[in-house]
Amino acid sequence: MSEAPDHDDVNTVPAPTASAVLMHVVRSIVDDPDAVRIETSTGRGKVRLEVTVGPGDLGRVIGRRGRTAQSIRTVVRAAAVRDQAEVDVDFVDA
Amino acid sequence: MEWVETTGKTLDEAKGKALDQLGVAEDEAEFDVLDEPKAGLFGRVRGEARVRARVRPTQVRTKPERRERRPKKEAAAPTTGAAGAASTTPAADATPRRPAERARRSEPRPSTPRADRPAGPAVDAAQVGEEARRFVGGLVEAFGLEATTDLSGAGSELEIRVSGANVGLLVGPRGTTLQAIQDLARVASQRRLGDHDTRLRVDIGGYRQRRQEALGAFATKMAEDVKASGTARVLEPMGSADRKAIHDALAGMDGISTRSEGEDPYRRVVIAPSG
Repeated sequence: MSEAPDHDDVNTVPAPTASAVLMHVVRSIVDDPDAVRIETSTGRGKVRLEVTVGPGDLGRVIGRRGRTAQSIRTVVRAAAVRDQAEVDVDFVDA
Repeated sequence: MEWVETTGKTLDEAKGKALDQLGVAEDEAEFDVLDEPKAGLFGRVRGEARVRARVRPTQVRTKPERRERRPKKEAAAPTTGAAGAASTTPAADATPRRPAERARRSEPRPSTPRADRPAGPAVDAAQVGEEARRFVGGLVEAFGLEATTDLSGAGSELEIRVSGANVGLLVGPRGTTLQAIQDLARVASQRRLGDHDTRLRVDIGGYRQRRQEALGAFATKMAEDVKASGTARVLEPMGSADRKAIHDALAGMDGISTRSEGEDPYRRVVIAPSG
């Protein structure tokens, strides 16, 4: 249910830096930034970040041959280092 | 014409060695794949790739048709262990022959615009740069880092420089995170701006600068070697930024010329004697 970790709940989100970075990147890429949602769940020592984007924006986030998705994962994992967390990023259609 | 036979962990490595021995560029050689590399468990190499190559005779060159040249059976059959399934087909027979075919059509690729880019009016480079800078700046902020993001560059060559404390996190092992950031900056600046022909580079903590200098020094050494021996050298496959660093470093050098051959991710620079 968590949206962008705004400043109030930043400490309650499992991987705040990774979530913030993910939100920034995805919002910068899609046509409809306001439709971007991130759901966070934890399990097995990992934080799972599930990204939902507006209709038609999934292709943009995934990119040619999944290249954009891969770049997003690389950057978000780097951000997770600051949260001392391991993250998985999944993209789902609206 | 004489054939040389080489082996390597990959077809490209084997081909590269063959080209080094022959001293010609990829488009002047012809290859037969004798053995495809066989991957073992967990990425270990179980069987090496084996190719034979020769300088392509001139009359073959003018013939556009590719001949379906099958390697001799006995040469192609890998030494499969007798134990186990007796019906194992020799790999060289069963595998598609695409790698060998690809090697024969290695004309320099014309730089056609990519089909998936929307064709549109030229976009102001400064606008692209500003969009990209905003993206990178926001990223740095989301990382919670204290760093500055500057945009520089002339014309369509743009560079965004990030400097500050702890920016190494944004570079990553062998620059992988940096490359991802650069890719994303490009995607982000294309979002609303449509097609543009700007070259966008991101450098973080001077990483690319240092890498470029190291590559330049390496390329200069290779080029001296080519000049001394009169033999072309084919470098390892590299990403576009690294290839450009090498082309740029050698652009002013007399007696040699450089070009890129092959297709990503195996595209690589050839340094050849000129004239």
